[in-house]
Amino acid sequence: MRALVLATLAAAACLHMAPAFADPGHHPGGFDYDPPEPGTYRLPPLAPAADGTALDETGAVRGLHDLMAGRVTVLGFIYTRCGDVCPLGTLMMRDLHEATAADAGLAAGVRLVTMSFDPGYDTPEVMAAQARALRAPGGADWQFLTARGRPELEEVLAAYDQRVLRKADPDDPGGPLAHQLRVYLIDGERRIRNIYSLDFLDPRLVLADIRTLMLEDAARH
Amino acid sequence: METVGGLLRRFIGAAGLLLATAAAPAVADETCMSPFMPKITGQEDYVYVWTLGVEGMGDGSDKLVTVDVRPGSATYGKVIASASVGSRNEAHHGGFTDDRRYFWTSGLDTSRIFVFDIHTDPARPKLERTIEDFVEASGGVVGPHGAYALPGRMLMSGLSNAKDGGGRTALVEYTNDGRFLAAHWMPTAEDPRGAEIESVADGYGYDQRVLPRKNALLTSSFTGKSNYMRDFGEMLKDPEAMKQFGQTVVLWDFHERKPRKVFHVPGAPLEIRWAWGPTHDYAFTTTALTSKIWLIHLDTDGEWKAKAVADVGNPSDIPLPVDISLSADDRTLFVDTFMDGKVRVFDVGDPHAPKQIYEETIGKQVNMVSQSWDGRRVYFTTSLLANWDKKGADNDQFIKGYDWDGKRLHHRFTIDFNAEKLGRPHIMRLGAASLYAN
Repeated sequence: MRALVLATLAAAACLHMAPAFADPGHHPGGFDYDPPEPGTYRLPPLAPAADGTALDETGAVRGLHDLMAGRVTVLGFIYTRCGDVCPLGTLMMRDLHEATAADAGLAAGVRLVTMSFDPGYDTPEVMAAQARALRAPGGADWQFLTARGRPELEEVLAAYDQRVLRKADPDDPGGPLAHQLRVYLIDGERRIRNIYSLDFLDPRLVLADIRTLMLEDAARH
Repeated sequence: METVGGLLRRFIGAAGLLLATAAAPAVADETCMSPFMPKITGQEDYVYVWTLGVEGMGDGSDKLVTVDVRPGSATYGKVIASASVGSRNEAHHGGFTDDRRYFWTSGLDTSRIFVFDIHTDPARPKLERTIEDFVEASGGVVGPHGAYALPGRMLMSGLSNAKDGGGRTALVEYTNDGRFLAAHWMPTAEDPRGAEIESVADGYGYDQRVLPRKNALLTSSFTGKSNYMRDFGEMLKDPEAMKQFGQTVVLWDFHERKPRKVFHVPGAPLEIRWAWGPTHDYAFTTTALTSKIWLIHLDTDGEWKAKAVADVGNPSDIPLPVDISLSADDRTLFVDTFMDGKVRVFDVGDPHAPKQIYEETIGKQVNMVSQSWDGRRVYFTTSLLANWDKKGADNDQFIKGYDWDGKRLHHRFTIDFNAEKLGRPHIMRLGAASLYAN
């Protein structure tokens, strides 16, 4: 199991060697289009973002709503033993984080939250290792959470419609759990404004959406 | 008495293949699913058939019928469940949510949307809720058609509008839990909304399909309620009605939901299928009245273009291509034609030059074709619209299951929906219990 974690982190480390996402000619993840101009389109609220509690990488109890207050939040659910979509999703989050490091406004106005749905394995210590490998200096706050326990986890997963199933083969090379990658864009009023699957998790697109929400907020105030 | 086929030929001949059309709804299979949901890449367990009720037949209501297709099952090729909605709504198309737990089905007449719970008992779907606000919430869109899964939401195409019952319509978005989000009206000549118009912009709708890596959405065009609820033979005799058919395919900036280019595709382009290959920047559609396969493609000059690439049968016979199904390897395209009840299979390895490689008569009429992801099994149903289906002895209503060996079809089962008093079978979706096993 440890090897899988290391593989995930190694994949993340490889990202540092990839062409910079800030390069306008670089299309990450096979995405082949020019990203939209922020503020030129609408992101209608989909639903209130649910609250819940979790443990951060130090083992402290954190409330999801507290983490969302006053910032644009990008929340994704993963598990570190995943050998399938989670590493790719994590790389996209890493790209996004790197972009916030290059923009003081983004660094101050955005929070990334990565939450594990595999608390039996993903202890705060494991999540801390993820954090150390992935955080870019000067980037937006990036929290690495895991569940306090099964009831609290089930409550959060149900609220976000994040389905997680145990695979019939626990030794499946893709990991023991089946799930869809869903990443949520949440505005400062704790409303879900977009949901990304892996097909949409283009960091340039997420960044445009974040800036769209920031422009919207600036216009309101 | 003149046949419907004769009427069609006479009208289209007289009009010089004007841009009017008589079309035909269709859709669906594992290889045409939204890219945002889990796929059944192996053997499916069930085929869910959204079935239009027939007055005086059974309970007369629309229903979701479950067919067992598990090899070796004692009930293989049989109906094992039926969930009635208790009313008749012109049952037509539908689609799963992105988590594949719910099946959204719609009624073109009443504009109701019926949401079935598939995951609790995949063999016996249950109606969970009915969405009644489609017309009011959308600002007058009528005839919810295809239901296309996006992450956490459903993108519904409309076919008509409440103002005049014509073909001008919109795309309508809902959250997965049934809350209206937005309506995006199709571009017209009067209101192009920034789109480049190749020739005409009719504002009509039919199918909607996304290619995420290109941020591209394609929509096609059919006809409004004043035509799709009308008797087919009567409509064919009405020249004004026959002018009211779609002739456009629209390319949208998907993320911004903004139309970019309106292609002129005469003859009611219906189903759209994007190729799956990671470098295959193209989609197919077929035109109902003009009987052609069209290719929408990114050309070498970096521009999206549309062109006719093959005939389906003899266009002057008006075979009416309806549903199409593209194999997961992008090499084989199944095309159903309603009037002659045939499926034609094309080798589309070169998408610019499809070549027919097989032809088989499925019944006196056929509409939908669905194939498994591995391409080994193919299913067909028959109904087009209540008032457009053939009459009397020609009114075949069935689902048929076949195996496909790459060269020919091998019949496996038939369920006669008339004999079973179920109604008119339309859209099919494949199900598997393993999707929900924990």
